[in-house]
Amino acid sequence: MLAGTFGLDLSLSKGLEFGVNQSLRSGLVVAGAVVVIALLFWAGVHNGRERRLAQQQMAPKMSMPEADRAGGDPAAGAGMTPALQGKVAPGFTLVDLDGKKVSLADYKGKPVLVNFWATWCGPCKIEMPWFQEFSQKYAGQGLVVLGLAADDASKTIIGGTARKLSVSYPILIADSKVEEAYGGVSYLPESFYVSKDGKILLETAGMSDDSGGKDEIEANIKKLIAAGGQ
Amino acid sequence: MIALGLVLILGQALDAPPVKVKQYVAFAAESQTVAAGKRAVLELRFEVLPGYHVNSHVPRSELLIPTVVELPEDKGVTLGKAVYPAGVAYSFAIDPTEKLDVYEGGFKVLVPVTAAAGVHELKGSLRYQACNNAACYPPKKLDVDVLFTAK
Repeated sequence: MLAGTFGLDLSLSKGLEFGVNQSLRSGLVVAGAVVVIALLFWAGVHNGRERRLAQQQMAPKMSMPEADRAGGDPAAGAGMTPALQGKVAPGFTLVDLDGKKVSLADYKGKPVLVNFWATWCGPCKIEMPWFQEFSQKYAGQGLVVLGLAADDASKTIIGGTARKLSVSYPILIADSKVEEAYGGVSYLPESFYVSKDGKILLETAGMSDDSGGKDEIEANIKKLIAAGGQ
Repeated sequence: MIALGLVLILGQALDAPPVKVKQYVAFAAESQTVAAGKRAVLELRFEVLPGYHVNSHVPRSELLIPTVVELPEDKGVTLGKAVYPAGVAYSFAIDPTEKLDVYEGGFKVLVPVTAAAGVHELKGSLRYQACNNAACYPPKKLDVDVLFTAK
């Protein structure tokens, strides 16, 4: 009986010891793994930094970026790939400088020149007084010019810039949705000539870097007015 | 093993090149050595893509977006106010009356630094807005990874 009790006590004690050892071992394994991971991580970051430093010491790099070399770059008068030409102009509803909603659909049946611009864009600000002149000259033929400011500047700054350029046609605040719909607007200025049937007759990016730029715009406006009756 | 695999993947992710964004300026990532614990100067060399220009640090109009280097301080590194070069005059051919102040080709930004001995890495950026002779591009941020040794 005594022996039996002892035997039971012994096995209980062994069991407890085994349990404690098991927990201790598991704890040590987890702690060890954490230390190893931390060491590997530190070594990776440290080695990466050392490697980059060594690479830079061997050969300073100044690789020129690709930019927009592969087509579509509106440099020196070259136009972008006309991705939307011939397609129905993406609709939009935006707010003007007074907070009033303006939709492209409001001008259905009219020739509309949609011009993306920004306050920081020099070529845009050269073109805008021309658009102002043409919006008045061809108003009798239904021409509408909409200036879409693709700009993070405040409405006050955008409005002030438009006033300084004597622009009185509607200036709307563009959003990322309309920019995306019109191909991303990755450079400015960009203009879309929307004919009376709602299709994009022409799209242009950048400005001609010669005195012919204004004449080119007027020629495009004339084509726009002549095209796409309803 | 799983943990080791995760660490390797994480390490590769840290070393992987970032998603490519169209840039018009390149940064010359040159390693530099400065005297530890003393005021020194880090030279950051940039190159504007041929045919393009970016506004200088002090453009002539408040509407224009200036070129700015943003470098965070790191442990053991104290930075001073960056010194920018003067720009050059630029006009669009169609409007020679309006003069802009821009950087074309190469330009250097000098950053005063005092650093403790060791290898330091400052991960910052260059904010700029580029144009060519016909169009302008939205403002961009270029990663600027400055590695230098103080000894």
